[in-house]
Amino acid sequence: MARYGMALDYKNCINCKACEVACKEENGVLMGADKHRIWVGVNEIEGEYPLLDIVSNSFEPSQCQHCDDAPCQEVCPTNATYYDDNGVVRVNSDQCILCSYCMVACPYDARFVDDRTMTVDKCNFCSDTRLERGETTTACQNTCPTKVRTFGDLDDPESEISELLRTREHYTLKAHLGTKPKLYYLT
Amino acid sequence: MAETIEKKEETGIIAKAKDFVTTIPYNKIGMKDLLDFEKTPRNMLIAVVTLVLLALFVVGVAIFLVHGHHAYNVTREHPWGILLAVYIFFVVSSTGLCIIGSLGDVFGFKDYELISKRAIFGSIVTILAGFAVIIFEIGHPVTMLIYNVLTPGLTSAIWWMGTLYGLYLTFMIIEFVFLLKHDMKMAKIFGLTGLLVGLLAHSNLGGVFGFLNAREIANGVFYPTYFILTAFITGVFISFIIMGIRYKLDFPEKVKTMLTGLAKIQALLISILIFFITWKMLTDIYGGMPNRAEVAIHILGSWTFWAEVILAMIIPLALILKDMGKSHVVLFWASLSGMVGIFFMRYNLVHDSQLKPLQMMKTTEYQLAPEWIHYVPSSTAIMISLGGLGLCIAMYYVGTKLFNLDADEEH
Repeated sequence: MARYGMALDYKNCINCKACEVACKEENGVLMGADKHRIWVGVNEIEGEYPLLDIVSNSFEPSQCQHCDDAPCQEVCPTNATYYDDNGVVRVNSDQCILCSYCMVACPYDARFVDDRTMTVDKCNFCSDTRLERGETTTACQNTCPTKVRTFGDLDDPESEISELLRTREHYTLKAHLGTKPKLYYLT
Repeated sequence: MAETIEKKEETGIIAKAKDFVTTIPYNKIGMKDLLDFEKTPRNMLIAVVTLVLLALFVVGVAIFLVHGHHAYNVTREHPWGILLAVYIFFVVSSTGLCIIGSLGDVFGFKDYELISKRAIFGSIVTILAGFAVIIFEIGHPVTMLIYNVLTPGLTSAIWWMGTLYGLYLTFMIIEFVFLLKHDMKMAKIFGLTGLLVGLLAHSNLGGVFGFLNAREIANGVFYPTYFILTAFITGVFISFIIMGIRYKLDFPEKVKTMLTGLAKIQALLISILIFFITWKMLTDIYGGMPNRAEVAIHILGSWTFWAEVILAMIIPLALILKDMGKSHVVLFWASLSGMVGIFFMRYNLVHDSQLKPLQMMKTTEYQLAPEWIHYVPSSTAIMISLGGLGLCIAMYYVGTKLFNLDADEEH
């Protein structure tokens, strides 16, 4: 049993979107602009030439935050959304009734409808693909050319992610909501 | 020996239950009776409109069965559409009618006893119409019935709301049966239980929105309490409408007294609602809280908000205050205006909660992040919504033929 999380050295992101493609390929996510488990958020450069605010231009890779207190899990009327043994927030599509409450309750816009099963889908850290095959990395991490992502066990003090979180300053998204995300943005 | 006694007891219980069911007073009706109504232009218009609405329901459901949720124009950013608003519209109507029905039979206000049976029947009809609409919004209604029981999500307001509404419907039906049988004592017991369960269910529906930490405009205690208030208001509007239709706007003295009383209550309730809404808007905007203030300001600029305010609040309140609720015919029309306003109220609640995008960054190469989430109901969703109204009218009409919904003589 582990407690999986991910650290993102997001300033290294070059917006190549290889992670988005790898995720779709590995997990069989449908094509289409709003069918994505992970994405890269882009902040455009602000200001007008020559007074361009170049620091405003940033890339922020994101996905389900695998919150320890996940609002999507709390609101699910049939417990279709659940925490697995590794603390990963997952959806049991057999139990999902598509009431869409989790999509409205998730503060990170991390959920979408899979048109094949007509149930809600989201990132599950490749739990039913790579992790099930015994691999220790996610598809997005594995493919990233600038090593933005580090996936691992937060409870293991020897893991790379634990080391990163001990030595680098970091923050989580919308921390004020008390969701306790397990995606950490390194600064 | 013991087995024989047990069997006899069992047969006794079955016989009693059979006797109870067979003595429920109702009229045996056939198609001929359903078509037997005064063929005035007004009645013919209502009949044709109802049939058109029912036809729209069938067409809407057929399109949904072929295309699924794609037919609803709902998106990742706006997953809840007009069908949820219509469901809320109907269940609010049901709770409101339950409150009105309880005034006489549960709380013993004599003036209101003459609407009890009609209001309780109305509450059953409206919630059934709500259920008929929501099963086409929920992606997997059968799975819902199974896993609501097998793996209940006890921290989910939707689970509590759905389960309690199921119970509420059961109590309403039992109360109605006792009302038909003139068993006022049992009707009072089941009426009170049904009312309490209904209020719990209804405040949980408010909780569905109030629990949304991610949506600052909805989060908090406001909706669970506001839902009860607006249910009462909706109940009064519908009371005027159903009594207006029953008496063809020519009200007997007793009904006039009751309607004047209801109008005065309505004036108070609408005033409280205006007070609530004003303070909600002020607290939303004051201090410029991110994700709350700008949404509230955006709502103030939307025509649907003003449709809600003018049709459901200003017009009915002004017309009641004009002569303290004595112009019953005028208030019948004001109540129709009020119900249109209440529909906008429900639509606004659902849409406004999802207005603010949660992702403020560009996520695809050529697409800027939206400032506001746009939503236009699809024709399929509109057809099913209107069909819900058709179902409601049709079920109510059949009920007027099947049962005696007027107050009994001893009332």
